[in-house]
Amino acid sequence: MPGHIVTSYDTDLENLRRSISEMGGVAEKMTTEATDALVRRDDGLAQAVILADKRLDALQRDIEERSVLLIARRQPLAIDLRETISAIRVSGDLERIGDLAKNVAKRVVAISDQAPAQKIVLGVRHMSDLAEGQLKDVLDAYASRDIEAAHDVWERDGEIDALYNSLFRELLTYMMEDPRNISFCTHLLFCAKNVERIGDHTTNIAETIHYLATGETLAGERPKNDASNYVTVDGGLAP
Amino acid sequence: MSHAAATAAAEPLMQPSAKAGADTKAPVRIAVKGLNFYYGQFHGLKDINLNFHDRQVTALIGPSGCGKSTLLRTFNRIYSLYPEQRAEGEILLDGVNILDSKVDLNDLRARVGMVFQKPTPFPMSIYDNVAFGIRLYEKLPKSELDDRVEASLRKAALWDEVKDKLKQSGMGLSGGQQQRLCIARTVAQRPEVILFDEPTSALDPISTGRIEELIEQLRDEFTIAIVTHNMQQAARISQFTAFMYLGELIEFSQTEKMFMNPTERRTQDYITGRFG
Repeated sequence: MPGHIVTSYDTDLENLRRSISEMGGVAEKMTTEATDALVRRDDGLAQAVILADKRLDALQRDIEERSVLLIARRQPLAIDLRETISAIRVSGDLERIGDLAKNVAKRVVAISDQAPAQKIVLGVRHMSDLAEGQLKDVLDAYASRDIEAAHDVWERDGEIDALYNSLFRELLTYMMEDPRNISFCTHLLFCAKNVERIGDHTTNIAETIHYLATGETLAGERPKNDASNYVTVDGGLAP
Repeated sequence: MSHAAATAAAEPLMQPSAKAGADTKAPVRIAVKGLNFYYGQFHGLKDINLNFHDRQVTALIGPSGCGKSTLLRTFNRIYSLYPEQRAEGEILLDGVNILDSKVDLNDLRARVGMVFQKPTPFPMSIYDNVAFGIRLYEKLPKSELDDRVEASLRKAALWDEVKDKLKQSGMGLSGGQQQRLCIARTVAQRPEVILFDEPTSALDPISTGRIEELIEQLRDEFTIAIVTHNMQQAARISQFTAFMYLGELIEFSQTEKMFMNPTERRTQDYITGRFG
């Protein structure tokens, strides 16, 4: 695409893209490290994740302000308008991803004196690996405006949901086996839910890429494999 | 749930401005078919095919020299003042080809009014500026003429500002008021179509806002074509937009689509300010 006649317009948009990419890097790192901290029971790392969220929040505010200013100053149209709106949306999703990673890190601190079965912790790790991979792919797709890659991410979110669903049942079993497990299992359950939500925000970004590229909203239901809404304590599905 | 609440729930969340969207089913008022235009040897318009819908605003955009004003000037054949300029093809106004030599030009220009970039009031009173065109075609008793002048000035949203000084010269009004006076003069002829050639490019933002508001209102009665260099203005006030470049029609579609996601690369480059 040729550059704008007003070159500072290009600079404005390029800076927005760069900030999104920086936010993406921070959010990815936070997601990985929050789970690392959980698996290794590393309080120090958890604290670092909590601290990193401030940087993410500041970046998001900055992107929002600059986008609003760009709209006021340049009244973007067509691809430029979609690019600006997308920057606002994606930065919002990345900020939420940071919040969710921070929440996992906080729980690491809360359960640091307990020893949950490593097997379940590894279940969360596996979920988190999937979510991180998705996040990385969607950020690459955003940077390269690759709509096919974005669609792949969008369709793969079902895997994270399915994993969450089985982890949910597993944790329920542990809690029923021994009430002393309830405290850490609940924390772990929230950790898993947070990771699952990270996956949801990742698919939001995929939808934004679709909008950015085509000007249309991605239609149709996203594949959902999370049946945990319907699970009861007896392990069966509610009618 | 009470009846009132049930009714409220059934209504859409957002009431779209009733006028905003394009009415693609509106009948075609002007149909341009295979139009070519020549300034002497220069081929100014190349095989233009385009429909203007009834009581819709169609914006013509494109860089200077792309032919948008030329196209506008064919609709009332104002170009025929210049012997070296000629149009070929068809422009059907309500099904009748206005390029036909049998068409009465005075009649055509009463049906297709035009407002120019620079306000062009006649050097006469405000009242006479509006009455001038009416007197050419109709012999009305004084009271009826008064009524028609008042109605026209009201439609042009100028009445309240000039009702106490109708005998004063139209040249004494501000630029924005002069432009609205020209619109009143056009409206007084009861045309079917109004052509605007960059009507606000010489006006300040407040006067521009008034004219835009006025165009929105005039759409209730008239089919409107507007040439503008202001992309945001085209996006705000039109339902359809045509992008022209080097005498060709590059893209024509609903304004919303044109400014959110145009089909043609050249359209996108132009409206986003990327054109060389």
